[in-house]
Parts: sequence; structure tokens; C-alpha cells
Amino acid sequence: MTKVFTKPDKPRLFFKHMMREMFKLGFTSIPIVAIISLFIGAVIALQMALNFDSPLLPKIYIGLATREVLLLEFSSTVIALILAGKVGSNIASEIGSMRITEQIDAMEIMGLNSANYLILPKVVALVIFNPFLTALSSILGIIGGGLLVDITQVIRIVDYINGIQFVFNEFYVFYGIIKMAVFSIIITTIPAFYGYYASGGSLGVGQSSTRSIVASSVFILVFDLILTQLLLQ
Amino acid sequence: MIEVKDIYKSFAGKEVLKNVSAVFEQGKTNLIIGQSGSGKTVLLKCIVGLHEVDSGEIWFNNNILFNKLSFKEKKEMRKQIGMLFQGSALFDFANVEDNVRFPLEMFSDMSREEQDERINFCLKRVNIINANKLFPSELSGGMQKRVAIARAIAFSPKYLFCDEPNSGLDPRTSILIDNLIKEITEEYKITTIINTHDMNSVMEIGDKVVFIHEGEKWWEGSKDNILHADNKELNDFVFASKMAKTLKGYVEKSS
Repeated sequence: MTKVFTKPDKPRLFFKHMMREMFKLGFTSIPIVAIISLFIGAVIALQMALNFDSPLLPKIYIGLATREVLLLEFSSTVIALILAGKVGSNIASEIGSMRITEQIDAMEIMGLNSANYLILPKVVALVIFNPFLTALSSILGIIGGGLLVDITQVIRIVDYINGIQFVFNEFYVFYGIIKMAVFSIIITTIPAFYGYYASGGSLGVGQSSTRSIVASSVFILVFDLILTQLLLQ
Repeated sequence: MIEVKDIYKSFAGKEVLKNVSAVFEQGKTNLIIGQSGSGKTVLLKCIVGLHEVDSGEIWFNNNILFNKLSFKEKKEMRKQIGMLFQGSALFDFANVEDNVRFPLEMFSDMSREEQDERINFCLKRVNIINANKLFPSELSGGMQKRVAIARAIAFSPKYLFCDEPNSGLDPRTSILIDNLIKEITEEYKITTIINTHDMNSVMEIGDKVVFIHEGEKWWEGSKDNILHADNKELNDFVFASKMAKTLKGYVEKSS
């Protein structure tokens, strides 16, 4: 940990690597986040419409409930779990392969702090970029719900839009972003740890990748509970 | 010059190196030979500091006790060390040019033009031409080794370590790599330690040879007297192949 979170040898190169990682790990995650958010947003809206069947419940609650589910849990926690699979396996296998092919040893021989060089740019890049994915997911999820409502006419689109705007608490947006920033540290450091200490050839790299995804998923769920308790009480 | 004194190293209670002492001379190609699993790679990695020794001393140039240096001192010292790994260990994310540029970019204040000049010099020195933009996966095994040598010498090291430099190479390319390492060693007067089990390398470039058997040093000498050594384990190793046994017959006849 202390090896990772130290001042980089060359700040200019660190910035360059960080931008590269931001593109490689963050920007390329946009399509999967967009597709999942659109569809899950539509499914949530549909399920809310089917379950809020009582004439006593105003229809605007369908939009309201869809928004709250997306903002509070889906766009941060569920997206983080998806990214733990996509980004985590990428990090663990990349660093693990470098370990077993002695590329990390080659860096150490040169006198480079390999943990800092390889891991810190990924952590910083995703802590900065992933909150944007959370915001994007919330927006696309709400649009997905809107499209579903518009196409199926399960409720009037006006009711859905009114529900989306009804008693809006801005803090929920920040709550999702704060959670995602913390989850991003988990998504990057745990797979990096497993990859960095990988051994036993390609089989070992595969195992480290699998273990890292399981471990980071559990940590995300535990921290979800802790952060919810801390931030929403 | 590098001297190791009474080196002990064990992993999970299993002793891999036992009381190893040896001197590796400057401007010469020093070879560590032995069977697979004899402990020669562990010895090499202990010397370069990739493994911490359990006990013993590693002296660089008679005045630097390398294994007792602080992290910061070791970091400085590493700028004088180049290493060629068994699998080349070229960075997959960088092309040939950027692999050689890596140590220059990280540890020097050279301008981009100066770096380019040095890169082209090093690549030319190892006969890599018109391959600057190729990635490691696009290179043959021999080319990868040569690029790795270029990267190792980019920072003009005083010490060069090679872990089985001709593993996976055909005999002809092996000789080319061996001779390249020897030329560089003599040209820049560096202390080179090569870890190998290839007897062709021993006979080609072995200025000084250290034989390791079951984690202990069993013999020390040069390529000129290895064939006449009075050491059963060494003889079993040297004359393991049918070709070597035939050659031994010729040597005995001629003497």
C-alpha cells in the first residue's frame, strides 16, 4: 500500500499514464454501462408500473421510484459490481501477466517503484472517471424508463416525467458519486494486489483474476452498507 | 568486480543456496552453470537484489555492500545495473524504441533528441535495424533478446546480468547472442554474470566459470580447464550429451 501511494518519480509521465488508463479502463466502459443502464432503467419502470397497480397510488410514484432506485443503488453499486468484473479482470490479468513474464522484475532492476508506476495511475484515473459513469448511468436509466413508458403506454409519459421531478433530493446524486469514488478504489487496488502477487504461470494469472473479482465484489457490498449507514443516516 | 561471501538462501524452510562464495571479475564474462534446479537463478536474483539473502555478503566493486544498502541507496545503485531476463521481459505495452527509451525516460534528464540518439546507437549496436516501431509480439526470440540487451545497456551499466540468455534459441542465434554479450562486456569493461546450462556458451565465452550443484559451489575455473576438472558432478554435467562424450574421447586421445 505504502509503495503504491507515494509521489511518482516523474509527475509528467504519471499524468500521461493516468490519461491513458482513463481511456483504457474508463472511457471504453461507456458502451457497456450505457446498454445496461438503458435496459435496467426500462425494466425498473415496467416493474414499478406493474406493481404500483393500486388506484390509490398516484402514477407519478412510478417515475419517482425508478429515479430513486437508479440514483441510490443501481448507478453506483450495481455499476461498480459490473466494473469490478470488466475492469478488475483486466487489471489483475495485465499486472499478473507482467509478474509472471518478469516485466515487473525488469522494472525493479532499473530501480523503479513498479507498484507505484503500474497501480497508482489506474486508481487515480478511475476515481476521477467512474463518477461520470455513475451520472451517465442515472441519466440513461431514466431515459430508458421514459422510452419504455412512451412505447408501451403503461402510464402517461407526463406522469413519468412529473414523477422523475417530484421531491428531488440533490444529495442523492452526490451520495451515488461518493459511493462510486470509494468503489473505484476497491475496483482497482484489489485486482492490482492479486495481479502483483500472482504466481504459477498462466493458471495463476487466471486464478488471481477470478479471486480478485470475488474479493472486490464482496468489499463493494460491505462498503455499500457502511457508506449508506454513514451518508444517509 | 562482484564478490559474494557465504550466501545462504532458503524458501519455506528449504535451503536453496548453502554457503556460496565466488568472485566475478570486471571486463570478463563470468558464467554460473549448473543443472536446472541447482539454485543458479536464485543466486543471480540474490546478487541483483530481487531476492533478499538469509545471510552472507554481496560486495560490488569491493566497497559497496549491496545487500545492506537502504532502499534509496539501492535505487541509485540500480542505475548501474542492466539485466537480461530468460524470457526477455520486454514490456508488452511498448514498441522496440519505447522499451529501450524506458530507463532513459524514467531516470535521466535527457531531451527527446538525446534519447533518440542513444536508442538508435544501442539498437544499432545489437544489430536491430528498421524495427523501432515493432512490438515485442512481432519479434522473433533472437530479436527480443537483442532488444532486451539494448535496453539493458541503454543506461551504460557497470554490471550486466543475464539469466539464461540463449534459452529457446537455435544454436546459431545462441552463439550470436553469446558473442554479442562478450563483445559488449569487453568494449565497456563491465562485470557480466551469465547464468546458463548451455555448454556451448561455456566453451564460447566462459572467461570464468562457477559450477553450482544442489545449492553449493562445487567448482570454479575457466573454460580452458573445465574439460580436465577432477570433479565427478561437474564431469557428469559437462559430458552429459553424446556429442560431449565423443568430444571428450578426442580430447583424451590428443592429450
